[in-house]
Amino acid sequence: MNDDASPAAPATGAAPRPAPAMPWHRRFVQALLYGRNVDRDRKARARLGLAVFGFGVIYAIIAAKLVIFAIAPDSHAARRGSSDAVGTARPNIIDRNGELLATDVKRPSLFAEPRRIYDVDVDIELLTSIFPDLDTKDLRQRLGNTRRGFTWLKRDITPQQQAEIKRVGIPAIGFVTENKRVYPNGPEVSHELGYVTVENTGVSGIEKWLDDQGLLELHKAGFATDRQQEPVVLSLDLRVQHVLRDELVAAKEKFRAKSAAGVIYNVRTGEVIAMASEPDFDPNFGREAAERDITQAKINGPGFMGETFNRLTNGLFEMGSTYKAFTIAMALDSGRYNLNSLVDVRSPLHYGHHTIHDYHAMHRPISVSEVFIYSSNIGAAMLARSIGVSAHQAFLRRFGQLDRLKTELPESREPMYPKHWAEVNTATIAFGHGISVEPLQAVMGVAALMNGGILIPPTFLKRSEAQASALGTRVIKPETSVMMRYLMRLNAETGAHGTATKADVPGYYVGAKTGTAEKVFGGHYIKKRLMTDTMAVLPADDPRYLVFIMLDEPQGLKEDGYFATAGMNAVPTAARVIARAAPLLGIEPRFGLPTPDKQILMASRLTQ
Amino acid sequence: MRFLHLIVVAALVSAAVYVYKIKFDATLQAERIAKLSTDLRRMHDTNASLRAEWSQLDNPARIQRLADRHLKLRPIEAAQFDALDNLPDRAAPAAPAETPDPIANMIEKQTADYPTGSTRKPVAAR
Repeated sequence: MNDDASPAAPATGAAPRPAPAMPWHRRFVQALLYGRNVDRDRKARARLGLAVFGFGVIYAIIAAKLVIFAIAPDSHAARRGSSDAVGTARPNIIDRNGELLATDVKRPSLFAEPRRIYDVDVDIELLTSIFPDLDTKDLRQRLGNTRRGFTWLKRDITPQQQAEIKRVGIPAIGFVTENKRVYPNGPEVSHELGYVTVENTGVSGIEKWLDDQGLLELHKAGFATDRQQEPVVLSLDLRVQHVLRDELVAAKEKFRAKSAAGVIYNVRTGEVIAMASEPDFDPNFGREAAERDITQAKINGPGFMGETFNRLTNGLFEMGSTYKAFTIAMALDSGRYNLNSLVDVRSPLHYGHHTIHDYHAMHRPISVSEVFIYSSNIGAAMLARSIGVSAHQAFLRRFGQLDRLKTELPESREPMYPKHWAEVNTATIAFGHGISVEPLQAVMGVAALMNGGILIPPTFLKRSEAQASALGTRVIKPETSVMMRYLMRLNAETGAHGTATKADVPGYYVGAKTGTAEKVFGGHYIKKRLMTDTMAVLPADDPRYLVFIMLDEPQGLKEDGYFATAGMNAVPTAARVIARAAPLLGIEPRFGLPTPDKQILMASRLTQ
Repeated sequence: MRFLHLIVVAALVSAAVYVYKIKFDATLQAERIAKLSTDLRRMHDTNASLRAEWSQLDNPARIQRLADRHLKLRPIEAAQFDALDNLPDRAAPAAPAETPDPIANMIEKQTADYPTGSTRKPVAAR
C-alpha cells in the first residue's frame, strides 16, 4: 500500500526515491518484513498485477462454466429423470364417459447379470426360496452361462417380493421398473381392447391399432414416456357394455348356445356404443387365452372360434331374413314399388334343383310391407329378381356389404359371396342366404337404412355427429329410410307369427327385424343348427340406436315348444338389453304413441 | 486511490460471495427439482395404480354382484320414468288474491300503524 505522504511519486520512477519520513517503529517493522532498500512501490504493482491476472483467470473460468451450464442444462438432473422411464408406456384408454378401460402401472421386474455372479448355487437357492414357482433347471441354465451380461428372471413381481430380495441381498441381481398394462374391468371389455405382450406391444384390438398408429416406433426408439400421451377415448360406454355382456352371458347360458354376440350402435354417428362376443377373455390374461384357443383349435379342427375370436368383426355369417331389409329397401328405392305394391308369392320358385319356398306359405298376392313382416322368402327373391342382378350387386356394394369392412380393429374378414353371381344367387341373397358378412357390416348397412339413408363407416373411437356426417355417403333416398323405419316398427308391433313382437319393449317404440339362418356344413344347410339374429332400432320414429343380437346354435326351450328360431331367443335377449340399456342411453320413454303409419309415415310427410 | 482499492476489494469479495451464493442456491434448487420430480413421478405412478384399483372396484359387474347380494333393488322400468311436463301444477292458492281477506287486512293494517321490535323503521319514526 502506498503512503499518503508520497502521492506525487512518478509512476515510472527509475531513480530511487528518498526514504519517506516514517515513525521509527514502522520503519523497523518494514525492515523486518521486506528488508532494507526494497522498492516496495514496484513490488506492490507487480503483486497487484499478479492478483488482477489471477482473479481474471478465476472469473473467466466462472464465466465459461456459467456459459456451459446455460448451454447444456443440468446433466445431473437429466440423468436422474431418464433412468426410470422405460420407453414402453402406452396411453390410457378411456370410454366415452371417461371411465378407465386400460392403463399402465409400474411394476418392478427382476433381472440378473450372470457375468457378475460368484456362486450360482447360492443365488438359485435364495431365488427359489422367494419365488417357489421359478424352475431350478431353467434358472441354472440362465445364470450358469457366465458370458451373458443380462437375463430376465421374472417380470412383474410384487413389492413384497422386491422388499424380500432387497433384505436377502443377492449379488448381481437387480430391478427395473417396467410398465405393466392393466385392464381394470377384466373381461367386460375384451375384443375391442385386445391385449399386449409382456413387452407392452399390442397384439390385437385397439392396442394393436395404437401400435400401428406409430406408438410402436416410439417404443422402439425408447421415447414413449407416459407424460406426453393423451388418453384414447373410445366410443364405448362401459355401463351399456356391461348390460349387453351381462345379458349375452345369461342368454348363452339359458339357450345353451355355442356363442352369443351383440352390438349397440349409434345410427347417427356410426359409433359402436357396446360390443360383446361370448365367450370372451380377460385382457389381463390375453396371452393365456390365446394359448388356450390354440390348443382348443387343434382339438376342434378348423372353423373353431375361441375366446379371443371376435365374431362381430372377424366372423362371417349368413344373416338370414335380416338381410331382407336391404332387398325391400332396394325395391322401394328403385321407385318401381311402393309399400302397397303386390307381389305374387303363391308358388315356390324353382332354380334347377333349388326350390325357394316360404316357412308359412301364403295363398294370395301380398304387399311389399307384408313381404317384410311375414318374412316371405319368395317375395324377397321376386323383388330382387325384378330389380336385376347387376343392380342388386351394385346396391349391396354401395352399402359396403361386398367389401372388407375397415375399422380401428385390425381383425377383419373379406365377405364371402359367389364369384359368378347368377340370378339364383340374387334370389337367395335377397333373403340372406348365399352371402356371408361380418355382423358389424350388416349393422352398418341397416343403420344406413334407418338414419335417413346415410352410410357411415363404423368406429370404435368417440365421434361427433358433425364428424360423422362429413364421412357419410348417401345410399338411399330419405323417403325410403322413412318407409323402412315404418316397416321395422310395424314388424315389431304386429309382426306375423309374433317373431319380432317380443322386442317391443313398452315405452321405447322399438322397431325390429329377425333372422334365422341354417348353418352350412359341407355345403348343406343343417336344419337343427341355427344362427339366429335380430336387429332392433329405437326409437323407430327417430332412430338413435341399433341393437343387434346374434346367437349361435341356440337350443329350443321346453316352454317355447322346443322352437329355436330368433323370435324365441335372440328377440327376448334384445328386449332385455333394450329395457336395461335405454335409460343409460338417455332415451326418454313415451307412451300412448299413435300407430306407426301415423307416427312415422304421416309425420314425415308433414315435415317434408 | 486507497478508497478506490477498498471499493474494488469490497466489490470483489461481495461478487465472490454472491456468485458462491448463487451457485449454492442453484445446487439446492436442482436438488429440490430432482426430489420433486421423483416425488411427482412416484405420485403419478401411485395415482395410476390407485385409479386402476378404483376402476376395478367401480366396475359395473362388481357393483351388480354387490347390489344383488345386499340390496332389494330391481332395474328401473320404462313406466317408472315420467316427464316434468306431466307433473301436476302447483296447488291453486286457497283463496284468490282479489277476494277480501279480513284477517290479512287486519295484519297489514297493524304492521303499517304499529311498529314491532323486529323492524328498524319504528326507531326512525320515534
